[in-house]
Amino acid sequence: MKVLELKDVHKIYNSTEVKVHAVNSVTLDFDEGEFAAIVGPSGSGKTTLLNLIGGLDMPTSGEINIDQTDLSKLKSSQLIDFRMRNIGFVFQSYNLIPVLSAKENVEFIMLLQKWSREDREKRTFELLKAVGLSDRTNSRPSKMSGGQQQRVAVARALASRPKFVLADEPTANLDSKSATTLLEIMEKLNLEEKITFIFSTHDPRVMKMARRIITLEDGRVVSDELRDQSKAD
Amino acid sequence: MIRSIAWKNVWRNRNRSLVVIIAVTLGIISGVLLVGIMKGWVEQRLNDAIFNEVSHLQIHNSEFINNEEIDFTIDDLSGTTGALEALPDVSGWVRRTKMVAMANTPWATTGVIIYGIDPGREKGVTEIWKKIVPGAGDYLDQQRDGEILISDKTAEILKLKHYIITGDVIRELEKENLPDNILSGLSGLKDVRFRSPKDFRDALRDEFNKKELDRYGLLITDKALDYRLRNRVLITISDDRGTPVQGTFRVCGIFKTTNTGFDQRTVYVNRDDLADLYGGQEVLSHEIAVMLNDINDAGDVKDKLSGISSVNSVRTWKELAPDAAMMNDYMIMYYFIFIGIIMLALAFGIINTMLMAILERTRELGMLMAIGMNRKRIFSMIMLETIFLTMTGAVTGMVAGWGITKALGKTGIHFSGWGEGFEAMGFAARVYPVITLDFFVFTTLLVIVTAIISSIWPARKALKLNPVEALRTE
Repeated sequence: MKVLELKDVHKIYNSTEVKVHAVNSVTLDFDEGEFAAIVGPSGSGKTTLLNLIGGLDMPTSGEINIDQTDLSKLKSSQLIDFRMRNIGFVFQSYNLIPVLSAKENVEFIMLLQKWSREDREKRTFELLKAVGLSDRTNSRPSKMSGGQQQRVAVARALASRPKFVLADEPTANLDSKSATTLLEIMEKLNLEEKITFIFSTHDPRVMKMARRIITLEDGRVVSDELRDQSKAD
Repeated sequence: MIRSIAWKNVWRNRNRSLVVIIAVTLGIISGVLLVGIMKGWVEQRLNDAIFNEVSHLQIHNSEFINNEEIDFTIDDLSGTTGALEALPDVSGWVRRTKMVAMANTPWATTGVIIYGIDPGREKGVTEIWKKIVPGAGDYLDQQRDGEILISDKTAEILKLKHYIITGDVIRELEKENLPDNILSGLSGLKDVRFRSPKDFRDALRDEFNKKELDRYGLLITDKALDYRLRNRVLITISDDRGTPVQGTFRVCGIFKTTNTGFDQRTVYVNRDDLADLYGGQEVLSHEIAVMLNDINDAGDVKDKLSGISSVNSVRTWKELAPDAAMMNDYMIMYYFIFIGIIMLALAFGIINTMLMAILERTRELGMLMAIGMNRKRIFSMIMLETIFLTMTGAVTGMVAGWGITKALGKTGIHFSGWGEGFEAMGFAARVYPVITLDFFVFTTLLVIVTAIISSIWPARKALKLNPVEALRTE
């Protein structure tokens, strides 16, 4: 089942001197449960593409459908609500809410969605256990390592059972061991929860683990390679 | 959750928040104290005007108001007093003889208004009997003839007041534990009579330094004060034919209100003694002072009494003491001006702090927008944060302000340097700040409104952030 479709998407930035074609005629689709990496050199348009998919930015032309909803048809307030319910975000620099504990950070989206207390606590416990942080529920981000913070961010992204998770260079700030642990956790959750993961990355470890590699150059998709699908099946 | 985040955000930069909280606290304390002092002054002036000077209502012959001549007595006295007895709104009334007079002692002369009163009945309407200076004689007694009650200011003008350091004064000051050097300094002034406060102050200034004077000056002046009680005062008035007549009265006591203007022009004698002086067959009634159960009924009672005689004029306290009435009416305006200025100054500090906070948290706000926190929630979070920050300081300030005002309400604040000036305008040199519950309710609402208004700019700035750009911020 398709969760995300991009049809001839363009993004052009108009600077004063030159037009920058950051995303150029990209047509892609993603199925439920995919574990995909968007790769390419710096400036190839990975982050821009991720922002477009996440509804944080609007394409100059083309269509982006998430679960058969055309993002361009949504008003600003509807788009925010749509993002909250359908998309999980993992950022390069964790971006947890510093004044909240790990548990509260994970609960946050569910609170915005007005989940019942019981459901919230159950889901939070389940996710923190899955990311190996059930003993750090009350720790604030400043008391946790980078790897631990990013694991909380993954738990937060998955909390409201989104259609897919967008992870922008999630391992860029992590040491090798933490990065491996994080990737294993994400892969496990991807398989268990059947939630699509889309990464933008330079990290060979992510590329090695991804089951689909989309390569961008100058904003264009130059290759879209499906790898071993046995795990997903 | 939004509330919880907003509260926790207040304490993210503890030092910066504390600076704002302390500023708000100090601002509110000064506001509470300033308004308390103003309110204390207004209430004191209003009470003094009503209980010492004008009562709630006064009735005069209309002609007497323009020309205080002996013949212009109250018209239809029995009808008027009968109506006063019958009115349930009236708690007390008294009739007086009121004449312009000249008071003389061997050393000085001054013009005064002499009131012929029934001392016992007067106690039910005015509080002059409570204003006798301690140790300075007694209130008038109907049983004792030929006595006069004068004020401290009149005594000073007539040179019946002096300052003298006697052996008794030094012994009293010893009991107050004054240092030996002060006591030995005072012995140099022993038994010297000073006829004005200025002369005495100058003598003390020659003897002691400023620090010693600031600390002990008031106490020494208080103890050294002495009046020539039982001294004769010659009173000259005009009888009904305009002929000057004179009579001698002995000073029975000294009163002192907070209004030196009123004190200076007012002396009291028994009304029968005054009638003997002007040679009338009966006691003349030029003025009726009326006290009511409720000050707010003054207008209604005036209307009722005005119908009795067209010759008489009935005036309320607002007409008789327009200064006190105006201050009372404008109190709310003073309040708005004081608190408004404080709030305006605080608003700038709060806006500055919140703008700094927004600037520091740009990336976090971008993340919150990205993951689905809508504009309404972002706005609420920043507004709540501003309200929490402001209210923390405001509540602390109000509690501290209330405590300080209550404490000062008991001891009073003595404006020793400006005392004479204040008293010349009818204000006490010692003010007792007063604060009421409605002030706190109103201030709380005003603080919340200030916080909400102050939060609008920072919150709008946050709402204008583009999540993509905000997330790129380092």
